[in-house]
Amino acid sequence: MSDRRSLLLLVGGAALTVYAVAFAGSYGHDVLTRAGIYAIAAIGYQLVFGRLGALSLAQGCFFGLGAYAAALTALDLGFGFPFTVIAGTALPVLLAALIAIPVLRLASHYFALATLGIAQLTLLAAINWTEVTGGANGLFGIPQISIAGLQIGFGLPLTAFVWTCVAVSLWISHRLTAGRRSLAVETLRAAPSAAAALGIDGAAIRFRFFLASAGFGGFAGALQAHAVGVVSPDVLSFHILVLLLAMTVIGGRDSPLGAVLGALLLVHLPEWFRDFADYYLVAYGAALLGAIIFLPNGLAGLLPERRTPRSEAKLPAPHPRRDAALSVEHVTKHFGGVAALDDVSISVAPGEIVGLIGPNGSGKTTLVNLISGIEKPGSGRIHFGNEDLTGRSPERIARTGIVRTFQHPQIAPGLTLGDSLEAVGPCDTEALLARVGLGERAGDLAGSLPPAAQKRLEIARALATGASLLALDEPAAGMNDIERADLAQLLKALAAEGHAILLVDHAMDFLLPLADRVVCLSAGRIVAEGTPKEIVQDPRAIRAYFGESPL
Amino acid sequence: MFLKKTAIALAAILAAAGAARAETVPVLVPITGFLSLEGTSQRNGAVMAIDKLGAAEGLETEVTDTGTTPEGAVTALRRALAGEPSAAISSMLGTQMLAMIPIADRAGVPLLTVSGTAKITELGSANVFRFFPGDSVVKVAQARYAVEKLGAKRPALLYQTTAYGQSGAAHLKKILSGLGAPLVFEEAVDISVKDMLPVLTRMQAADPDILLLHLHSGSTALVIRQARESGNMLPVVAGSAMHQPTTAALLEASQLKGVCAESASSPISEAAGPVADFTAEYRERFGIEPDAFALAQYDGAAMLVAAKAAGAKSAAEVRDWLAANSFDGLAMTYKSDGTGNMAHDAVVVCYDGKSRVPAIASRYENVDGSN
Repeated sequence: MSDRRSLLLLVGGAALTVYAVAFAGSYGHDVLTRAGIYAIAAIGYQLVFGRLGALSLAQGCFFGLGAYAAALTALDLGFGFPFTVIAGTALPVLLAALIAIPVLRLASHYFALATLGIAQLTLLAAINWTEVTGGANGLFGIPQISIAGLQIGFGLPLTAFVWTCVAVSLWISHRLTAGRRSLAVETLRAAPSAAAALGIDGAAIRFRFFLASAGFGGFAGALQAHAVGVVSPDVLSFHILVLLLAMTVIGGRDSPLGAVLGALLLVHLPEWFRDFADYYLVAYGAALLGAIIFLPNGLAGLLPERRTPRSEAKLPAPHPRRDAALSVEHVTKHFGGVAALDDVSISVAPGEIVGLIGPNGSGKTTLVNLISGIEKPGSGRIHFGNEDLTGRSPERIARTGIVRTFQHPQIAPGLTLGDSLEAVGPCDTEALLARVGLGERAGDLAGSLPPAAQKRLEIARALATGASLLALDEPAAGMNDIERADLAQLLKALAAEGHAILLVDHAMDFLLPLADRVVCLSAGRIVAEGTPKEIVQDPRAIRAYFGESPL
Repeated sequence: MFLKKTAIALAAILAAAGAARAETVPVLVPITGFLSLEGTSQRNGAVMAIDKLGAAEGLETEVTDTGTTPEGAVTALRRALAGEPSAAISSMLGTQMLAMIPIADRAGVPLLTVSGTAKITELGSANVFRFFPGDSVVKVAQARYAVEKLGAKRPALLYQTTAYGQSGAAHLKKILSGLGAPLVFEEAVDISVKDMLPVLTRMQAADPDILLLHLHSGSTALVIRQARESGNMLPVVAGSAMHQPTTAALLEASQLKGVCAESASSPISEAAGPVADFTAEYRERFGIEPDAFALAQYDGAAMLVAAKAAGAKSAAEVRDWLAANSFDGLAMTYKSDGTGNMAHDAVVVCYDGKSRVPAIASRYENVDGSN
């Protein structure tokens, strides 16, 4: 953390403390307490929405569920505060664990709709299960917080307690995303396909964060139940979710600190505008709009940059396995009635460069997708060494040593080049970047690179995983002659070290001199195979792809 | 000599200023959200009474929007309590009242409300004063009018999923059974539902002879409009939302034929007398028609002014005065039943299908026998 950032945070924290102790009356304490409670729920939401970029519409539901669980354990079972808050935290986590398996598999808007459905079901249960929830009246008479016989009274004691919980929540959130983990999460958010292909276990991260967000939401809800004394279906309503969403966006979705700043602002804003009487909501709305327009990175974006500490380890990339050859046997892949691949078999040995050519739509990228696990074959087997990888997940395949790059570079534009490599494992980033010709740019943002350089970054990132086989999808696209020559030299060197390379490219002047063997696909079938010299003279390859011999 | 005279004059001015210093009565009501229509009526009634009658007692109002969340109400009340008021006009939304009552109890400040939620006067709080008849009064009027005056034997009930709806539905079911006309159909309707035809179709299948409604304003208008447009001409006895001019304005006058509603009062139905004067003044000041919530809260605030005029200064003195005395308001006579229920009368108003101004069809006085 930069010194200026630390100093600013310290000053901000001190100012808040002075205000709470010396200036805020009971009303000021109440508003601060509410802000703290929402900050905790927003810290949870920041994990899922801010970090993972997943629009969960269930955070309000977790908040409300925590409030109901705490209220019921206090009123019906007579438990005291530590147990009520445990129940309030555990129930949403349990629900999140139950729904995570089907829900987390869904993408973007389907995920949002599924979580919205769960939130609506919970709201309906709260309204209609009157014997348990008290129906629309809700539950009331929830006792104040009391720990070991010591009652945390309203006003400053409650405010201090809640903000202590905020500090603990920030620390937990920081632990979940500290260091290299945050880089892996950012890669998962910005380039999910690449993250999977690099061996980042997205499913585990999503599961962990979804449960953590539910825990934070439920914990905040439990505090709310004790602070307000009443729980009604209102705590499960959509406006809670909208409020948490606004807090996360306006505070700054990249940082849990943003969630806290967003909560402080959004809870205090309507109170500051009370004097506008009937127009206070107009003023509130205008202020929100202004924040979104003028602070695109949120309030946290105003703070000096935080740098992710680099790992001290300067580990060289592991040597490639010299015992493992890729063997694709009779694979087929259909998309509806279209056969994208039909009975295709190829192999790539350690130290070998195999070129894969064919016209657009011939199945080259589909074959790379099958090898890297992004698509599952309809039939046939894929082996790497002795391991059967057929139908395995991309993460699992990546961990066996097969890593791919993409036709359109899949990078996390907000990470530096060095951090992009650190995201996949501790390594000597400078050496790897130097190897792909990006040695001087370790501190630049990946998004600032031109497309050709992004492709070289992808190769460096693949090498950082310690891959044995590189499946490169049009790595030379967009490069000039000098860059192509450099890349060709690099690939030759990698092959000489024992890397197996499957190379897809349309640039024949780049591919043919480089490849040991070439496979030509057309309409999903292999129409020709052999050395570059043989393939350019093969009439089937000429008919299917070249049109005329490139020689 | 000059200095002495100046000092005396200054002291007199300061004393006069001190004597004239206004006490602020917080008006904590929902003027945004799904209860904004009713909350605005509540605000207008309170503000009008304090401005008109309370100025002589040094009273003025400060309005705070509570929204519709309990926490919004709690924050508004805590903010208001910082000014150490001797009483507060508080939200008509039951869940907000349930959240505010413990805080008011700790501060010892009485809350004057028009909330209909039964629970708020069942908690044993000495600080709740409800100036709108509760469900135990108005639901009796609604059920009795349907059964005794209209001869209903097979009533159907649509009610809201809110606290207001669930509380009223529970009372209606019990009262109707007691009157020998149990419900043949009942269904809760969410506040967000706009298409009422499915529920009306299900209701029709039960072959009811009257439709009872216990819905908020918007839902009430939607049910009646869609029933009439689909050819369903069942007589309707609705909850108090239907007596509101703002609800009637959402319907054609012809669609209101055969529609009645319970209420505490119906200011626009009175052609002459003090209530008609109130209506004219309200109309002139706010540019809209008053309803029973406005009149009830006007009466509640007027009783607070009466307490002040009788010498009640502190919150405890105001509370004790409100609990012990009766007050002749414009709509009815108010007196606590010992739990804070101040209103015990109800009316049923009916529309003739030609105008949006209903006529009072029946009066039910001292329904709960506690006045």
